[in-house]
Amino acid sequence: MGRTIFHLSAVLLASALPLFAQAPALQVPATVTAGQSFAIPRNGRGTFYLVGPSHVLKQNVDAGREIAIAGRDVSTSGTYQAILCGSEGCTSATIQVLSAAPERLTFLLHPSRVPVNTPNAVNGTAIVSDRFHNTVVAPAKVDFRLSLAGEEISTRSVQSVRGIAWFEIGSRPKQGSLQVTAALGDTTEPRVIQQVASEACGLRMSATPGPHAVTLQTDPIRDCAGNPLPDGTIVSFTKTDAAGKSTVDTPIKKDRATAKFEVSGPAHISVACGEALGNEISFAGRP
Amino acid sequence: MKRLSRTLMAIALSATCVAILVARREDVPVLAASLPKVVLSAEGLAPRAIEQRTGEVVTHDYAQAWQDLAGALNANRADLLGDYITGEAKTRLTQRISDQKKTGLHTLVVDNGHQVKAVFYSPDGGEMQLEDRVQLGIKITDGEKTIYSADVTQKYLVLMTPGADRWYLRSLESVPDKAF
Repeated sequence: MGRTIFHLSAVLLASALPLFAQAPALQVPATVTAGQSFAIPRNGRGTFYLVGPSHVLKQNVDAGREIAIAGRDVSTSGTYQAILCGSEGCTSATIQVLSAAPERLTFLLHPSRVPVNTPNAVNGTAIVSDRFHNTVVAPAKVDFRLSLAGEEISTRSVQSVRGIAWFEIGSRPKQGSLQVTAALGDTTEPRVIQQVASEACGLRMSATPGPHAVTLQTDPIRDCAGNPLPDGTIVSFTKTDAAGKSTVDTPIKKDRATAKFEVSGPAHISVACGEALGNEISFAGRP
Repeated sequence: MKRLSRTLMAIALSATCVAILVARREDVPVLAASLPKVVLSAEGLAPRAIEQRTGEVVTHDYAQAWQDLAGALNANRADLLGDYITGEAKTRLTQRISDQKKTGLHTLVVDNGHQVKAVFYSPDGGEMQLEDRVQLGIKITDGEKTIYSADVTQKYLVLMTPGADRWYLRSLESVPDKAF
């Protein structure tokens, strides 16, 4: 019985030897910068492997020669296993490849169109990476430059955290193209947001009676900051009389909207654009 | 009034976070049969708060991505990466699989669970950054020969982005122990 156990133990030990018998330890740098070549001293021969997040290197090595690792073999940041297998088994060591200097920006700006004067309506997120697209975890300064035609450029400097810098602002009072550029050193990523007029403000119409109908026309329709609402914005004219309600939707053309109604008895006509209500006009009878 | 509003918001946010934690802890055993165990914490997530349903979906899709990753690395099949992994993460894993094929290597990943913390959720909901502390059993073989075998705790910095019906793993970068 004892002999059997001894034999079994010997077999188990022998089967484990190729993996766990220690070849001479690999002397590797604990950390390397992405894209930086380096060498591993070697005393023995066998097969060397470098297994990283996006790359696997396998090569035969001779005794007494250094194992040269090219920068392209460690361009991806992350954890690498350096493994050397020889007649004595395999030995391994971990190398942490760190991102290189910040050089690239991925910039996402939201939204593409925004009404003027809206709080926290514009936001941008920039992701800082090195030239190999590795996220740069160390803090880096990202400048967000905002410029609207006719206004001074304003800049927000943000320190990235875990590779991310972001900002949030309200839209400007004036409509037009708002250019937002994220900058990291000499690297710039420009984006454009279209600022459009907000809700109509002080909506007002006037009526011109004709032989068969009354013609209604609004004053130039603008938002509260004085920006004209774009052509095509729908304006609703609603007539209420003994027959009930009838509505005419009409688009703004050259800042104004017009509509015609037949009025045969007492009636009220109101005007609205989006959430904005305008004035009402009352008629006592046939125009 | 402003203070009350802030307090209520803080309570609501805490409740959401706790709910996600609790929900995940209850859900995990159900998922364990097929997906790796992922526990998501969203405490202190900024600048946007996370909805409970979003937290559940992110948790599920991240677990699914890891299952696909493990299957692809073991079988050396890049086609298994397409459903939940995209962008730079997919490019890198595809390259790794291509290199494994050329060199005859296979990587067996035994996923023993993830402690995930959501650390950034962009104001427009377009990106979510996670810190993941994962327990892995890794065995690398060259043909029939095992050249590396270890149980490791690895930290990853993760970027998830939403698609039409799921969250995609867009970036997966292993980082040093002291990173977080």
